[in-house]
Amino acid sequence: MNLAFTLNGRPCVTDAPDHWTVLDLLRDGLSLMGTKYGCGEGVCGTCTVLADGRPLRACLVLAAHVRGRDLVTVEGLESDGRLDQLQTAFAELGATQCGFCTPGMLLSAKALLAERPAPTAGEVREALSGNLCRCTGYTKIIEAVLAAAPGAR
Amino acid sequence: MRLHPFRLLEPESLPEALDALGRLDGEARVVSGGTAIVPMIRLGLVKPDRLISLHRLSALARIGLDGEALEVGATATLADLERSGLVRDGWPLLAEAVRRVATPAIRTSGTIGGNLAYAEAASDPAPALLCHDAEVRVAGPGGDRAVPIAAFFRGFYEAALEPGEIVTGVRVPPPPQGARAGYVKFTSRSAEDRPLVGVAALIVLDEAGRCREARIGLGGVAPTPIRAGLAETALEGEAMSDAAVRAAAETAAQEAQPLSDLMGSADYRREMIRVWLRRLLVKLRDGAA
Repeated sequence: MNLAFTLNGRPCVTDAPDHWTVLDLLRDGLSLMGTKYGCGEGVCGTCTVLADGRPLRACLVLAAHVRGRDLVTVEGLESDGRLDQLQTAFAELGATQCGFCTPGMLLSAKALLAERPAPTAGEVREALSGNLCRCTGYTKIIEAVLAAAPGAR
Repeated sequence: MRLHPFRLLEPESLPEALDALGRLDGEARVVSGGTAIVPMIRLGLVKPDRLISLHRLSALARIGLDGEALEVGATATLADLERSGLVRDGWPLLAEAVRRVATPAIRTSGTIGGNLAYAEAASDPAPALLCHDAEVRVAGPGGDRAVPIAAFFRGFYEAALEPGEIVTGVRVPPPPQGARAGYVKFTSRSAEDRPLVGVAALIVLDEAGRCREARIGLGGVAPTPIRAGLAETALEGEAMSDAAVRAAAETAAQEAQPLSDLMGSADYRREMIRVWLRRLLVKLRDGAA
């Protein structure tokens, strides 16, 4: 089937088998490996991408369902080779260890900050409730999101 | 890991979707947001040859009014519902329950029609919709019909849908004048989990503080979401004293038919009904209207 959508700010026209999910399309169709395959059941959150600014589980959503939508993956966060404010905060505050959950964490946080520029720590926890991290214990991730919040600066 | 291969049909209209479902009886499943059917396919629980997607039926995504009632189309997402000013202002109990479903990313794609058709006992929206005496709108080869929500949940993961039928929406009457309502969700593992026990309650008090009307919806405590009718009767006409509230919660714990699973045993679920229904009723009794 044919697919046309916006990917990281640019038009993308491609095709994919009917049974592919967004995650299959990104990793196997378009060779964008930043979005990770974790549980495959929508529980772990590491495949999170943004669709029209909202967080989406790429492993659960059929590729056909993102036709015409505006998709952002972790590869789309930097601009002109410069890291996004959230990525910088994650790096500076040590909010990443093995890194497998990081793309999903960044995009869930991105969606939160777009809706709430000055979130409370509780709101950050809630926004990241679907993103599992088995290394950090979450404390530094939450600190990094709060530090990157535009309303906090 | 790829999904078991299927052909995807993307009808442009409801009649086209119903026609496809009728022709492919037994071979096709309907997909809305995909948050339920995709994991089922991945786990090998179902292996449909065709999936019929509702995503092009934009008319089904509407959230609006039908007279005094809220009319929500089947493909309205949970994220749209929780953000809708209309729902938050007029149906705060529903907004509160929807906001507790899983995680933000699931609510982005999960739809209210999918949630109902999946007929999961541990649904967050269902107890709230039960308290509102909602009606599920269904379309099929025999025409359209409206099913009272209490009759819609027929059994364990079983909705009252006949072959060839599709959920098209839900009609939610407004709460009674002066109603106080709330939803509490208790999870035994992590916050975003399905509820071990989900409790929705809507009460109306008279001038003397007696309970004129009580509606109690429970999730996770029986093979389907249920109304706790005996507990409601126990409460109505009562002064909502601590003892009366405790007795109503005990009645609800007795009329539930909880199952044991990895989240908790049947006994534990009964105990959690006692605790969380009592706390919610006390909060509603003591809180502002």
